[in-house]
Amino acid sequence: MKIVACFKVAPEAEDIQARPDRTLNFDRAQWKIGTYDLNAIEAARQLGDLTGGAAVGLSAGDSELTNAKLAKDALSRGLDELAIIIDDALPQAESYQTATVLAKAITDLGAVDLVILGAGSSDAYTQQVGNQLGAILGWATLNAIDSIAPQGDQLIVERLIETGVQVIQVSLPAVLSVTAGINTPRIAGMKDILAAGKKPITTLDGGALGPATATVVSQLAPEQVERKNIIIAGSAAEAASELAGLLKTI
Amino acid sequence: MNTWVVTHDTAVATDLIAGARALASSVNAISLGAEAAPGADLTLVAPAPAADELLEGYAAAIAEELTARQAQVVLFGADIQSRLLAGLVASRLQTSVRNITGAAPDWATITRTVYGGLAVATDAIGAATVVLVVGPGALGEASAPGVLGEVKAWAAASASPGLQVVETRSKTQQVVNLAAAKRVVGVGRGFGAEADLGLARDLGAKLDAEVACSRPIAEGEHWLPVERYLGVSGAVIRPDLYLAVGISGQVQHLVGINRSKVIVAINKDKNAPIFAAADYGIVGDLYEVLPALIAAL
Repeated sequence: MKIVACFKVAPEAEDIQARPDRTLNFDRAQWKIGTYDLNAIEAARQLGDLTGGAAVGLSAGDSELTNAKLAKDALSRGLDELAIIIDDALPQAESYQTATVLAKAITDLGAVDLVILGAGSSDAYTQQVGNQLGAILGWATLNAIDSIAPQGDQLIVERLIETGVQVIQVSLPAVLSVTAGINTPRIAGMKDILAAGKKPITTLDGGALGPATATVVSQLAPEQVERKNIIIAGSAAEAASELAGLLKTI
Repeated sequence: MNTWVVTHDTAVATDLIAGARALASSVNAISLGAEAAPGADLTLVAPAPAADELLEGYAAAIAEELTARQAQVVLFGADIQSRLLAGLVASRLQTSVRNITGAAPDWATITRTVYGGLAVATDAIGAATVVLVVGPGALGEASAPGVLGEVKAWAAASASPGLQVVETRSKTQQVVNLAAAKRVVGVGRGFGAEADLGLARDLGAKLDAEVACSRPIAEGEHWLPVERYLGVSGAVIRPDLYLAVGISGQVQHLVGINRSKVIVAINKDKNAPIFAAADYGIVGDLYEVLPALIAAL
């Protein structure tokens, strides 16, 4: 089984600073693989081990992706090889644009049985690239997958929806977006990191990026909601008693 | 703008249609296996899918219908099935999906959350057709629902090739709707053990509040189900009272709670960011404060 795990590299939110005028300062922000994408990589590795299949990483982004440290980070987490698509417009691309580029890459890779994505990217968190990718490829497509098990040449998956769990039989090829709880992504050891340096990296042509459906007018830190910021002093018992009085009025 | 609301739940449809009505003059709806909601000019009602079929099998039929009817803005709810349907329909319409937190009249601009709640992006819509996923309350406070418009049975074809539902396990406990809760108690890493959540449940019972949590409690510790975590990737609430207990107040969490009318924080670290976002705070050990508070209520 050939499994592709998609991931997006984006500035780490914790390192982005909001300036007094509410604009964002990315100067100190490192580019990292999205937290939820690590679940996709781990799921691909685990299923690859179960089926004797290969796990291929696929990422569409700008030249940050050629950063050797980032590639090593991805490859040390269990991927057998990595394919990248470079275009300066890709980090800000919309869900359909990104899905179109990934669909072309997956077709070019050839003989792909399964594509796994995380719940959403760490920047836009639209949670739609997998859904739109599956529709473009015309493959069986599901989101919110919380467990994947091979069954013959098919998969049995569990999907977490608001009202319960759907157990679904999936024929391949398929595109699955997984939950943040499907697994605990491994932490690479020294051996994995050394081995990662020897794994192949291929650059694919994503083709022309389609038109955007909107233009970003602004991107600002949220306006602060005015809060009273009153600290209730005293011992635990005194403060609790005063708070109880307050809560009875709300 | 010719706006369409696609849902599988009458309550969600009522909310989205009322919100869309305030922004656009023409609002129509597609209801999948649910009763038509009031407020839309026209509602097409499709039968519920068979037990072994997925609701999302309607994607192709919906895209075809929306194209024929020249839909410009298509709204979906924010549940898992609606999200997948939104993506499948959008690809067929060759457009992208946005998760919106607000919109201007006639959909001139929309807002959405980026970088884990660190910023709000405002987009000017330029395409002929856009697909928007709308969270509860994103289009403002629910106004009074309109009157029931024209309702037509819709004999749409449904197909999910390669996918067969073999079993559906419904939740045994009641499905929680935090977005509608008037009072919420949130628990965080300040709780040392799962058994200690009993304190929060007792407090919740006294206050008639739902118990919710920060992300690590649901996704790291699994002490509470994931639908009970608050934040940018979890539930976004707007209750009259939010009481954060043992929650430090990371930006990702604050996005989920900052529309609460009154925020109260209990935390032993006086420097925790939650206090800057709170109306009232107690700096203290939750294991001392909560029993006293429960006794005093």
